[in-house]
Amino acid sequence: MSDNDSVTLTINGREVAAEPGRLLIDVAEELGVFVPRFCYHPGMKPVAVCRMCLVQIEGQRKLQPACSTPVADGMVVNTQEAGAVDAQEGMLEFLLINHPLDCPICDRGGECPLQDQTYKHGPGSSRYVEPKRTYEKALEISDLVVLDRERCVLCWRCVRFSDEIAGDAFIQLVDRGPGTQILTFNDEPFDSYFSGNTIQICPVGALTSKPYRFVARPWDLKSAPSVCSYCSVGCPITNESRDEKLVRCQALPNENVNDFWICDKGRFGYHYVDSDERLTAPLERGANDEFQDVSWDHALERVAAKLRDGARVGVIAGGHLTTEDAWAIGKLAKNVIGTRDVDSRVADAGAPYADVMISGLSPAAGSSATINDLATARTIVWMGPDPKEALPVLYLKLRGAVLDHNAKLIVVSPRRLSLDGFATHVVRSEAGGEARAVDELMSSPAADDIGDPMVICWGPSSPGRDDAGVVAALGRLGAARDAKVLMCPPHSGSQGLLDMGVHPSLDAGHETAAEPGRDTRAILQAAADGRLDVLLLFGADVIADFPDADLAGRALGGGAHVVTVELFPTETATRSDVLLPSAAFAEREGTFTNLERRIQKLEPLLEAPGVAREPWRICVALARLLGDDWGWHSFVDVWNDIRSNVRTHTEVDIDALSARGPTPAPQYESGYEKDPSHSGGVVAGPGGQYPKGYRSGTPFQTGQNWPLSWELRGFEARQRPGIVAGTPNGARPSPSGSTTSTGSAAPDGESADGFVLYAGRMIYDEGTMISKSTALRHIARRPFVELNEEDAKELELSEGDEAVVRANGTEARLEVRLADIARGAVFIPYDQKGFRANTLTSAPRVTLARDL
Amino acid sequence: MAVSQALVVRKRLVEVDEPWKLDIYENTGGYAAAREVVTTSSPEDTLEEVKASGLRGRGGAGFPTGMKWSFVPKDIFPKYLVINHDEGEPGTFKDREMFELDPHQLLEGMIIAAFAVGASKAFIYCRGEFALGSRRMDQAIRSAYEKGYLGSGIFGSSFDFDVVLHRGAGAYICGEESALLDSLEGHRGQPRLKPPFPAVKGLYGQPTVVNNTETLSTLPHIFNHGIDWFRKWGSEKSPGVKVFSVSGHVNNPGNYEVPLGTKLSDVLELAGGMLDGNAPKAVIPGGISAPLLTITDIAMDFETLQAAGTMLGSGGIVFMDHTTCMVRNALIAAEFYEHESCGKCTPCREGTWWQVKVLERIEHGEGRQEDLDLLLDMCERMDGRCFCPLGDTAAWAVRSNLQLFREDFQAHIDEGRCTYETDHRTLVGARAIGPGDAGVTPQPSEGIGSDSEASS
Ligand SMILES: Cc1cc2nc3c(=O)[nH]c(=O)nc-3n(C[C@H](O)[C@H](O)[C@H](O)COP(=O)(O)O)c2cc1C
Ligand code: SF4
Ligand code: SF4
Ligand code: SF4
Ligand code: FES
Repeated sequence: MSDNDSVTLTINGREVAAEPGRLLIDVAEELGVFVPRFCYHPGMKPVAVCRMCLVQIEGQRKLQPACSTPVADGMVVNTQEAGAVDAQEGMLEFLLINHPLDCPICDRGGECPLQDQTYKHGPGSSRYVEPKRTYEKALEISDLVVLDRERCVLCWRCVRFSDEIAGDAFIQLVDRGPGTQILTFNDEPFDSYFSGNTIQICPVGALTSKPYRFVARPWDLKSAPSVCSYCSVGCPITNESRDEKLVRCQALPNENVNDFWICDKGRFGYHYVDSDERLTAPLERGANDEFQDVSWDHALERVAAKLRDGARVGVIAGGHLTTEDAWAIGKLAKNVIGTRDVDSRVADAGAPYADVMISGLSPAAGSSATINDLATARTIVWMGPDPKEALPVLYLKLRGAVLDHNAKLIVVSPRRLSLDGFATHVVRSEAGGEARAVDELMSSPAADDIGDPMVICWGPSSPGRDDAGVVAALGRLGAARDAKVLMCPPHSGSQGLLDMGVHPSLDAGHETAAEPGRDTRAILQAAADGRLDVLLLFGADVIADFPDADLAGRALGGGAHVVTVELFPTETATRSDVLLPSAAFAEREGTFTNLERRIQKLEPLLEAPGVAREPWRICVALARLLGDDWGWHSFVDVWNDIRSNVRTHTEVDIDALSARGPTPAPQYESGYEKDPSHSGGVVAGPGGQYPKGYRSGTPFQTGQNWPLSWELRGFEARQRPGIVAGTPNGARPSPSGSTTSTGSAAPDGESADGFVLYAGRMIYDEGTMISKSTALRHIARRPFVELNEEDAKELELSEGDEAVVRANGTEARLEVRLADIARGAVFIPYDQKGFRANTLTSAPRVTLARDL
Repeated sequence: MAVSQALVVRKRLVEVDEPWKLDIYENTGGYAAAREVVTTSSPEDTLEEVKASGLRGRGGAGFPTGMKWSFVPKDIFPKYLVINHDEGEPGTFKDREMFELDPHQLLEGMIIAAFAVGASKAFIYCRGEFALGSRRMDQAIRSAYEKGYLGSGIFGSSFDFDVVLHRGAGAYICGEESALLDSLEGHRGQPRLKPPFPAVKGLYGQPTVVNNTETLSTLPHIFNHGIDWFRKWGSEKSPGVKVFSVSGHVNNPGNYEVPLGTKLSDVLELAGGMLDGNAPKAVIPGGISAPLLTITDIAMDFETLQAAGTMLGSGGIVFMDHTTCMVRNALIAAEFYEHESCGKCTPCREGTWWQVKVLERIEHGEGRQEDLDLLLDMCERMDGRCFCPLGDTAAWAVRSNLQLFREDFQAHIDEGRCTYETDHRTLVGARAIGPGDAGVTPQPSEGIGSDSEASS
């Protein structure tokens, strides 16, 4: 029995219906028949090279690879037929003849697909008596990845990942026949932002992580699912610890977000959690200006005292806080302290997120599109920072949308972005002229490729860009079309902070505030002018991150009592009066809301150091001292409050956040309509707490040791899908709800001198978290300034020269790089080695001169 | 009765001086068929004619040529024609000869094929080692362009046809059609996952017909003389003539063109019989990928050889007499496959490595009794499980040596040494003949190989 949508086949005597075109290996697995495999990976196209998955299909002369055979109606499959079983054993015998006996010293031992499948399907002993093939062992092919070619089973997973998914084919097959090996080409380093994924998907210990090498055996690890704490893509990960130290982060699959991948920042940037420099106790500035440890009671009482009695208070929150922190901070500021001077935009100060709602692109100050809408879009317009640097996994998704799903990608940017290589159209806008370029799109050569559905991606970028004008133009573009917006704020917590109303003109649930307060710049200005009594900073390192370092410095010295909740004694923190230690992401139960407004859960794995606390608990305590007892004791309590007060979050079922989705899923789905979690609804379902393959306790205790987390299989990608927050139905604020934003000033037209300044984040920088992460901190590059060749000529500058860059009375000497960038524009990266660009970025323009 | 050749594709190169020159080619009837097809026929009729001729591919698999062409989707452009001139199968040297000596014959066949399938561009993938052939072909292409037989609007018709000559870099696997396409595109030469087959998605993702040099060299003759003429040779399923490359312990190694279905013993007779009047001990009937025969009373056509558990393959026949050590023969074959394995799939990459290791030990007198069954087991575990036929045939080659001549292997183990006093010069391929070995293959040889001659 079959129709167009389904075929019926028999696997090991059991009948199963499946969608035509699906691969036998997946269909069998969902039926509970696990066909052994090495090369197959659900996130990549099948290559059928390892021959481990051969099965018998009636009517076929030869055994067929289940990984590349689509199901067909009436197919009768036997995975346990004698020939198939012999093939499985035979393939393992072949693979083992040249495999070294490294298991006792191999990082993969204990969670190794080769080990596991040998136990299950392999020969008991070896008939091979000759010498094995040898290669030089443990080649460091990058600062992060170590290669042992003797252990490699040549499954091509790493090669395919690099080529198909990351698009940077650094790692390659070299030589042929039995001498075939994996190597980087020409011995150049494996210099990819995504290299760590190859370690995770390598089915043996051939690719290992330099930071994790010899650190733990898998059975000694404790692990918990979590969400990456860096950027706003919000990739789900597992945190793993040994002896109460975080030793490894790996990707957890979520087909809605990251598929199977994370970037190397997310994977290797975890060491900050265990850094010795973490704040472990509240500190108070004493009489002699030295900090001393104090008790929480003492510190909080001192802060509360300052907050009482009509104090003038400004509250600034950084981008790495959880949704719960955000709700608590907003509530503390507005309901308890009674100030509307609250903002969460620091690095992205002044970003006109609310305009996205006002322009009609979205019913919320956030995305109306999901990440997977990219794959079903006909046209994608990119008008944001360089995603490969700022939102790495979103870059992979954009690449997939274009290359695998034939979306047309139009990139509007004054400088070359990583997307240009595969974009359908690159619109090189003039310096400061992005809004005009957007308005002219329909009369540009790109117009032919503009069609619906359209996803407009916008993220704030840099001081030189008139983002308000850009968003307005994007609104005009989208108004005439079936368009959604993917709004890309920078950090893991950014969107949750907006959703919870940590914003001068937005209240929780995207309600427009009746009386907007001050934004970050205005708060700092008020503090600098001595017009604030207390400055409350939650994870906001304003000196390092706010685009005007000078103003931030003056704000801290303006006489306000500065209270900082922080992980580290940052420069901002050390200039505060009270320092309150915060718990880090791996130590907390909580949620991050990503750039598509998907709420995903962090489970605690470690104890916070000393007496560090979660920021929302600090707010609870302060509120109580100020006479308002919220009665929250747990994550659940916070959410009960959110659900009953925030109109966009009333439907969020937090139990469903940690529950598995329906298992097994009938098929991989993507796209807006099919995604059951999108409509604000809830994915409920049977199943335990955690995805299979995730361990708490030793694998042997839990009985989940096979297959282990290495084989993150297709249907499991649905098991912790997260929940996309709802939108304020019908509530469309009127454009009159404008803010007092004094954010990024637009370049003031022809009259202005100098170059329009574009500043942006690179994936690795000297930001607080990365610079404490031992594996990554040395990767940040030398600072530079990017410049058009013609402009350089006029200034008599050439590649590699030092240029003096001046803005607002500050100056820096930066190496010149000639680049594909509009005339009249320069680009400077933030926080590269030894140089904080925010000393220059206070103004939209800079001047350049030769260093004489 | 003396056996004789049925000269068709080899006719000109046997009977005419300097057959590679365009004027000589034309004077002997060249380009008439292509001109006729392109100017008076339709692609559909041309395809039907090839189908009706029953022509089967001469590259090894024997796939019906017309049927292959009919798989090409009509409405997708561009389409490509690719000539497989990699001829890497040990014991085979027929393509090389007709390519060096009669390049226009191939170009003419290509025009007919391209016209039939609607390809306006062709690539000739020439084995890298064939230096003379590639120079000759380069020259032939040039002169054909000059005459307007290639390029835009050939023969004054509206059909455009361009030809590009590409030299490989010395890999047997690049003779496998999909590996050839990858190599042509500039990638590692490794077979592609099928489906899709090249006819649907081939070179640069476009519909592509891949045909062997001999296959297409046959076409002008079919169109000149008609289907009935072609079908008067061979059988219903294997019509026509075929060039066999004969080598090994025979008196006159060389290429011989005979009707399909000719007895192997007659082919041997054409090659002057066995050296010293010995009896053949073993025969490779179709390149070393084909399992051995121990008889010569068998018809050389696709279906008969298949029924006998071997194959016609590329038509490379190697006769071996009693002086041949079959352990060494197996080892040479295994070393070839190990060297030429592309390394893509586990059973071929590791299996060929292991085969060589064990055979080396046996050859050197260090074999163990259990090695014989181990080898058979290994072959069993490779056969039918590899990604492409190279690995499967690596298993066949070793297995057929061991199964048919187990006593040779046993003797090595029992004696702890090789019991043959083999004259290695007479081993597989060593007396394989090519143009230049004057007097063996009946054709003029002077001047071949000199650069100055390679001009029309
Ligand atoms: C390992 C291997 C090597 C091959 N080498 C050649 C070759 O050298 N020349 C050739 O024409 N075909 C070779 N083939 C066969 C080709 O794949 C293909 O079948 C042939 O070129 C089709 O042309 P035909 O239909 O005209 O025979 C080889 C196949 C395999 C599996
Ligand atoms: S290094 Fe690992 S992933 Fe790459 S081919 Fe070898 S076994 Fe596969
Ligand atoms: S893309 Fe962003 S969220 Fe994902 S791993 Fe990288 S930094 Fe973390
Ligand atoms: S059988 Fe496998 S390893 Fe051997 S040549 Fe074919 S694809 Fe390559
Ligand atoms: S998993 Fe199917 S061949 Fe490797």
